[in-house]
Amino acid sequence: MDYFFFIDLVQGFADGVLFGTTYALIGIGFTLIFGVMHKLNLAYGAASIGGAYVSLIAFLGLGWPPIPTFAISAVGAGVIGYVVYFCCFKFTPVRHPLAALMASVGMLLFIDEVIVHESDGMPQPYPSVMDHAEITLGEIWIRGDLIFVFLMSVVSMGVLLWLLYRTRLGVATRAVSQEATAARLCGINPDRINASTFVITGVLGGVAGAMIGAAVGVLSPLLAVPVTVKGLIVAVIGGLGSIPGAIIAGLMVGAAENIFLVMRGITERDIYVMLLLFVFLVLRPGGLFRSASSQH
Amino acid sequence: MDFYLGLLQIIGVHTLLGLSAYIVLLTGQVSMAQAGFFAIGAYVAGMCTVMFGFHILPAILLASLLASLVACAVGFPALRVKGLMLVVATLAFGEIVRLFFFNVHWQVERNGAMVGPEGPEGFRRIRYFPENGWTSIDITAFIWVIVILVMLALWWMDRSRAGAVLRAVGHDETAAQSVGINLTAVKVSAMTAGGFIAGLGGSIYAHTTTHVEHLIFSVVLATFAIAYPILGGLSHVMGTLLAVVFVQVFLVEVLRFMGDWRNMLFGALIVLVMNLRPHGLLGEQPARMFDFLRSRSRREETHAAT
Amino acid sequence: MLQLDRLSKHFGGVRAVDEVSLTVERGQIFGLIGPNGSGKSTTVNLVCGLFPVTSGRVLFDGEDITELPTHRRLAGGIARTFQNIRLFENLTVWQNLWVAQNGAEDRQQGFLKRWYSGNRQGRAEIEELLEFSRLHDKRDLLAGNLAFGEQRRLEMARALAAKPSFLLLDEPAAGMSQEELKQLSERIRALRERGATVLLVEHVMDLVMDITDRIAVLNFGRKIAEGTPEEIQANEDVRKAYLGGAAEQEEAASA
Repeated sequence: MDYFFFIDLVQGFADGVLFGTTYALIGIGFTLIFGVMHKLNLAYGAASIGGAYVSLIAFLGLGWPPIPTFAISAVGAGVIGYVVYFCCFKFTPVRHPLAALMASVGMLLFIDEVIVHESDGMPQPYPSVMDHAEITLGEIWIRGDLIFVFLMSVVSMGVLLWLLYRTRLGVATRAVSQEATAARLCGINPDRINASTFVITGVLGGVAGAMIGAAVGVLSPLLAVPVTVKGLIVAVIGGLGSIPGAIIAGLMVGAAENIFLVMRGITERDIYVMLLLFVFLVLRPGGLFRSASSQH
Repeated sequence: MDFYLGLLQIIGVHTLLGLSAYIVLLTGQVSMAQAGFFAIGAYVAGMCTVMFGFHILPAILLASLLASLVACAVGFPALRVKGLMLVVATLAFGEIVRLFFFNVHWQVERNGAMVGPEGPEGFRRIRYFPENGWTSIDITAFIWVIVILVMLALWWMDRSRAGAVLRAVGHDETAAQSVGINLTAVKVSAMTAGGFIAGLGGSIYAHTTTHVEHLIFSVVLATFAIAYPILGGLSHVMGTLLAVVFVQVFLVEVLRFMGDWRNMLFGALIVLVMNLRPHGLLGEQPARMFDFLRSRSRREETHAAT
Repeated sequence: MLQLDRLSKHFGGVRAVDEVSLTVERGQIFGLIGPNGSGKSTTVNLVCGLFPVTSGRVLFDGEDITELPTHRRLAGGIARTFQNIRLFENLTVWQNLWVAQNGAEDRQQGFLKRWYSGNRQGRAEIEELLEFSRLHDKRDLLAGNLAFGEQRRLEMARALAAKPSFLLLDEPAAGMSQEELKQLSERIRALRERGATVLLVEHVMDLVMDITDRIAVLNFGRKIAEGTPEEIQANEDVRKAYLGGAAEQEEAASA
């Protein structure tokens, strides 16, 4: 292997791991909703990108600086998350999971079309932070904005874990995800837990959407579907329902993506990422961390 | 006139796409890979007629068989995982197929011009119909003969024991296993049949539009595929046709004046229907409208047997 | 006929079934009893192959079927019913029996007969089953629309549709009235007259003591006793396990 190719690989790996934290956030969102409701919310990726687009109004329209823009993205995606819950999950029958799944697909198309309509299908610039800074390690240089993306994602994960393990709401959420019936008998209202899960994961997705925008530099309506697919792959490789699994799988998918990019070029990159999923489905159908809820 | 014929052709192709998902959905599996099988049908049939000068019928047959083979091969690993995991696996598979054709460059010279798929540029000049002097009426009739044959075959299957077995698996896999039904065989068969029907639809599609490219076979098309039978309800094949007519005629054509707002409407409509009629437009009960023949003959037969 | 050889099933650290051995002879009605959570249902699921076993063997007619998938066991002659009824609610009563005709004989039919229409003899058998379970006037109803007792009868008929030589009944009496219980025990006796061997997993003591030839008692996944109904009634360990179990049950009922 020649030296420059090797450097490219290491460089790609480093960038991929940093950017992979955003995939991890999306994967956590899918996994958390699955853990609590045993349903898949396919509108989640679109809602996250939707949040970033909401914040674009603050950035382009009101001229806000980057960090408050990111905050708006989180809030916007949280609101969209609740709307998705209300429209697709609250009233569809529990015994008929197809209905909720299909409704969330409808929501995915709807959000996507609203974005296309409002942005005329054109990519829009998105702000980033520390984009002129960089760290040089020998021949490898690490972009400052990616470091910011990485830090923001890690902080969001930390806040989420604190919410889940240290607050009453979090404990109740975990109780519902483990034993829904028992939790109901203890007086926990699963409806409220479900709604709050959608809001929390929505906020998380908003952060992820903003960070994807910040790392790429532009927002495009074409992002929604790939983000959905990557997030799902992360959630499945990590084991549906497992948060640590999603984190590790997110970093893995981010790194793998960039390594395949270096090795096979941009047009073939995603094929190999998805083949990776099939490798996991065949060898470890339960995911990296075989969690109890993934066996249903 | 041509406008209506074109609409009829679109309805026919989308009905095939919807029916390919219908048979898989009967077993309770949600497959987002139908757009992928559709793409295989489209590209392979196009290659057969354009690059190798096949007649349309063997081209369609070969393409559909190939699509069904791929579906069968995907079925085995993918059906090891259940329910929601299957959605993800098939979604990824559909994307793999799309990206595969995004990367395929294979051109041969025919009659002094280079023809064949050109990667991101797509596959142009699939001009079998115009080159052989088929009129729009011929093409429409050809499509609908195939659609009606497929619908009859599915309707026949639905009232046979095989149909009941598919529905049994779709309702309760554990119970189905316990009454001696081989789950893998049933699911993989449904997937294979679904792949064949999607391949039929794709190969016809490629020849009516004369130009296909990878972007057509996206997740959105896969969503349409499963949306038709779910919107129409799984009680009867006619539900799928009904849903296709509703979406293509009402949403796409009648609401054309709304511009790109109607695309939003499609998403919103799915959300609305799933809330109001979670079992689809026709509902879960068998549609008596079409089944009166069947229940009468069944009763006579069984009485004769006792 | 059926032989369990030191059969174990662990879920994580829980030993749901722990080294259980027992033998059911041909033509017997064999009772399997025990308090809640003693591993009865797990044992049934192991016998029909819904869970993989942790260790031990299942022998049927002298053949080792431990690794056989569920649907192949039915062809070999093992059919079952479920504790919480699991009918194909989207199919009619008639179709429920139709799809269940997967016994050894049915498998020898030609492809079209088997998957398209079934044969004349098969249809006659369905009629006979409908008669046996008094459901002949409900044939075209969706199974989901039947009354509770009818659903139980249909489920048993569905298990019989493959003409099994061995029948696992998982708590068939749950939720039944006194009158229905009487009919149930008549039906189980009738099954034996048709030549079937029955493994009856039950909570309702009267029924078990009334119709079984032999009983095994499970507690915490272990077999604590086996014998004739009289021996079991006199057994001190069983009484202890059951009184404990009964007390727990009352608590559960009042909660």
